[in-house]
Amino acid sequence: MSVLAELVDASLIPSILRALTPILLAALGGAICAKAGVFNVGLEGFMLVGAFAAVAGSWFTGSAWVGVLAGMLAGAAMAALLAIASVRYGGDEIIVGIALNLLAVGLTAFLLRTVFGHQGTFTDPDLQGLPTILGQTPLTYLAWLLVPVLAVFLRRHVWGFRLQGVGEAPEAARSLGVDTTKYRYGAVLASGVLCGLGGAQLSLGNVVLFSHNMTAGRGWVAVVAVLLAQAAPFGVLLAALLFAAAEAFGFRLQGVGLPSQVAAATPYVLTLIALIVASLRARRALGRAPGEPPPSADRPPVANPAASSHVSLE
Amino acid sequence: MTTPTAPPVATPAARVRGVLRSPVFLSVVGALLIGSVMLLGAGGNPIEAYAAMVEGAFGSTQWRNTLIVAVPVVGMALAVAVPLRAGVVNLGGEGQIVLGGITAAVVAATVPLPMPVSLVAALAAGALAGALLGTVPAVLENRLGVPLLVSSLLISYPVVAFASYLVRFPLRDPGTGLPQSRVFDEAYRMPVFAGVGLSALILLVVIVLVVQVDSRTPFGYEVRLTGHNRRFTEYAGVDVPRMVTRLMFTGGGIAGLVGAMVVLSVPYRYIDGALVVPGYTWTGLLAALLARAHPLGAVAAGVFFAALQVGGFGMERETEVPRELSSILQATVIVILAAAVAATARRTRKDRA
Amino acid sequence: MTRPRADASGPAGEPAGPPRVEMTGIVKRFGDVVANDAADLALAAGEIHALVGENGAGKSTLMSVLYGLLSPDAGEIRVDGRPVTFRSPVEAVGAGMGMVHQAFRLFPSMTVAENVVYRAETRGTAGLLDRRAAVTAVQDLSERYGLKVDPRARVRTLSVGVLQRVEILKALHREAQVLILDEPTAVLTPQETRLLFDVLRGLRDAGRTVVIVTHKLGEVLELSDNVTVLRDGRTVARLVTGETTGAEIARHMTGRAVDLDGRYVPGAPAEAMLRVDGLTVGPPTGRPVVDDVSLSVRSGEIVGIAGVAGNGQVELLEAIAGLRPARSGSIRVGTVPVEALPAGRRREVGIAYIPEDRAATGSAVAASVADNLAVGFHRRSPLRRGWRLDRRAVRTHARQIIEHFDIKVSSPAVPAGTLSGGNLQKLVVGREMAHDAPVLLVDQPTRGVDIGAIENIHARLRAYRDAGHAVLLASAELSELMALSDRLLVMFGGRVVAEFARSEATEENVGLAMAGIPATASAQGAGA
Repeated sequence: MSVLAELVDASLIPSILRALTPILLAALGGAICAKAGVFNVGLEGFMLVGAFAAVAGSWFTGSAWVGVLAGMLAGAAMAALLAIASVRYGGDEIIVGIALNLLAVGLTAFLLRTVFGHQGTFTDPDLQGLPTILGQTPLTYLAWLLVPVLAVFLRRHVWGFRLQGVGEAPEAARSLGVDTTKYRYGAVLASGVLCGLGGAQLSLGNVVLFSHNMTAGRGWVAVVAVLLAQAAPFGVLLAALLFAAAEAFGFRLQGVGLPSQVAAATPYVLTLIALIVASLRARRALGRAPGEPPPSADRPPVANPAASSHVSLE
Repeated sequence: MTTPTAPPVATPAARVRGVLRSPVFLSVVGALLIGSVMLLGAGGNPIEAYAAMVEGAFGSTQWRNTLIVAVPVVGMALAVAVPLRAGVVNLGGEGQIVLGGITAAVVAATVPLPMPVSLVAALAAGALAGALLGTVPAVLENRLGVPLLVSSLLISYPVVAFASYLVRFPLRDPGTGLPQSRVFDEAYRMPVFAGVGLSALILLVVIVLVVQVDSRTPFGYEVRLTGHNRRFTEYAGVDVPRMVTRLMFTGGGIAGLVGAMVVLSVPYRYIDGALVVPGYTWTGLLAALLARAHPLGAVAAGVFFAALQVGGFGMERETEVPRELSSILQATVIVILAAAVAATARRTRKDRA
Repeated sequence: MTRPRADASGPAGEPAGPPRVEMTGIVKRFGDVVANDAADLALAAGEIHALVGENGAGKSTLMSVLYGLLSPDAGEIRVDGRPVTFRSPVEAVGAGMGMVHQAFRLFPSMTVAENVVYRAETRGTAGLLDRRAAVTAVQDLSERYGLKVDPRARVRTLSVGVLQRVEILKALHREAQVLILDEPTAVLTPQETRLLFDVLRGLRDAGRTVVIVTHKLGEVLELSDNVTVLRDGRTVARLVTGETTGAEIARHMTGRAVDLDGRYVPGAPAEAMLRVDGLTVGPPTGRPVVDDVSLSVRSGEIVGIAGVAGNGQVELLEAIAGLRPARSGSIRVGTVPVEALPAGRRREVGIAYIPEDRAATGSAVAASVADNLAVGFHRRSPLRRGWRLDRRAVRTHARQIIEHFDIKVSSPAVPAGTLSGGNLQKLVVGREMAHDAPVLLVDQPTRGVDIGAIENIHARLRAYRDAGHAVLLASAELSELMALSDRLLVMFGGRVVAEFARSEATEENVGLAMAGIPATASAQGAGA
């Protein structure tokens, strides 16, 4: 009983909220891309570069807000690379996204050393973190606010309406004179900005430091959240909440004597299980027995319009 | 329209022009240019830095280091390239290499066997462990429709954490304060013949096998066609899900073998993070993408990227430019390449339309 | 109920003023291929104009030029007397053009109203979409022109005929004065066709210009006021419908006199080779896409499957080929039951398959011609030797098929994607026939290929039958089925609803069956 009390108490909620914010912001970015028909697996990299730029911005100006702005710009700059390589030139978005994630790791490590002269981790008592309101940074409130805003935008706003058309049937949108490239650029850049915010939350909110590869797979968790929710904003919130709870709960497990490796693995195991369960249910809804191969023309059951594990090498 | 166009005559000059216009060449040059900008920004001299990199990779004593790093990088490039040949992206290399390594370490630490049975057993166990781990995402995709791309990546995190747990607790060498296993028995140490490690020889055998199967067998032919158009091979009666399982088994097996070989080499113990921190998996992945899954190309790209990696250390020593520039160059090549390949294909289509 | 009549009494004489649209000397080349070679077209207000020609005559290219999808290499377009240049469909739409493509361009998850107003929306406050205004706009238009459709219905739930109405509404919502319809009846039942024709007549009477692009002479005679005939990219005739005959139009289309009844040559059927019994395909719960189908095809027989697209023909063939799981039923090749076998084993037993989409399914366009031709042969002798695939044998094999099927290609090593549509189709046909399988499944064998290739492929199919094979052929072209089939089945809603011996089959009774109307009602053919 006492173990349970140690694992679950009121203070778990704030830690869940803190863990949620970066994942949610990145996943909302991924959702916008999915709606526009871009399967964005570069969220991880956008977020990492955003986290670094936020620390750099805050450090050099003494203002955490400038840091946040720098994070947004840096995330957008990374996103621009995806937009140019994949939207403009048609490079396979999965391949480009993976490469950008790896570019982000190298780039931030390189800059950490050339700009700060540090290796591995940079922190300093003078580094300004984000202020908190009732124990949470403003970015947390912003992330929650963005969920209904995005839902309304997609459902009710003319641009959101056209964006979804671009994702669902680009040929049809193009035939009516919609510049699909422009909408996709917009979606990808928006995801960069949101990931930049997520990164800023990681490095100036949850902690006040930058460390090598500090996103540690959160961007991929966000990708899964988008897949599970089929890019619907409120669904994305639920999925992200699940993973954030797993992350926060995992840390609690350490408190009761379980090795830290269990904590580290928990969110990913849970993510995987959620993915499997969702696939099973989707398959059942399609009326196919488990194990029965799908006809190749069918989409994978857990999917946004653009998702596919198969890449094109042409 | 009905007049067939003659195949272009390949004069030497035309061939050179072809290379200069090839997407691979363009992307490497593009990445080096972008790297130069970063070097200038970091206060370095690009020419000096690149020269130091070449010297650091291929200098009189350096090339041996390059070779040592090239073995795991090329191995991991193949672990990705084998499934990628059919269009399947294996992002689970990290878990596969670590599971292979820790399995070999467990065998070495717990089963006393005589040489060479010992090595065969440890390597086989490592390869099998990696292979089985690689099979899991394939089965999940084939039977449940879970996207392999994501599941292969996610499954790595608990595996890496589990290996880390093993080496920190049950397998830990109590004599040191570090998270590492005891040094293995003599029977579990990879020998070196005339300066060439057994690992390199084993890898050579793997390369030959992969290339032969890819280019000479009906199975390899089916895999290549699946990479071009999966619907087509399914229509032609090929059991593509089974193919994906086999490819992931093979890819995972190669990764597991690499992990086992690294662990059973100097310093003959499992050190936590030793398979993850050097980034063999991701360097190998990028190399496989650079080669667009062509097996021999993946070998060449793996050696190239290993040289970049090792050369990065040389550059850092000589010019104080951080070695991470190497990873930046590798990733940048792939971003540009993906765009260049697609743009070329698009232009060809337009010419025809 | 209005009975459609052959109506050639359009507005008599030339209307005053310049024509609404005038295209003169339009030239459009694609590489070496000249698609339009000095083509002319004049369209008046308040007419239904038929643009006719055989496949590959340049009709689609000319309309794409008019709609701003392609820019011409030479020539002039005038709208209401003023010269114009359309750099995009948007500019063409701005000048009053509207187009209904053969393949609809709609958003399946959106409603009818949303599809109609997309990018021509009414905005409320703060740029919010006014869905109510969209619904009202669609209701107004559909009442005015008799286009019955529920504005709130999701597009993916609608039948093809209704989808076409949505496409027409899209153009009308953008105030199109000239409405171009590309092969508008290809996917419609006779009933839907009649409804469409009523709508188009209403539009004409309201002063709009309607262009139908078609190669079906019956429609031309029934619906249009004027006819422009294209051949080899050139305008070869401009006719007033009331003053011409089907035979004259056909002579202009082909440049020679044609036998309009097709070129059917009977086969000599022997014993049953393919037997399908009670085959049902679809999800375990819910409506099956193929519903309890039984059929047999004899050696030396071509059995045609007629039906409006989407009535289960593709699924039936895929289920027989093993590419789609069947819920129940049995399939036999000769005496061998194959329903439990995977696709690869069925091929070994003796089923070959020419699929609907030669580029997406029937070939790997990035792979070489030789590799494309080796598929299915690569696991047995002579291509396979021991554990190896013999590359020289692969090339030899390719050369044989290329030669035998007259595929125009410089070398077996070039990518299949460099072949023209007709040659790529010949590649697929050649490869599948080279298997010499006792059962050949064929889906849309001549879609989008030029007339020469059509005749070639038809001759091949007859020869394959005459060599003692069983051929099951699905086609959207009734004329193709009439020219090839020894027996005709009609599919509707996943079921086989009618069967005709070749001697009983007419366009009328088959057409009625395609619409799901029992064959007994065949007496009420439309005015001869």
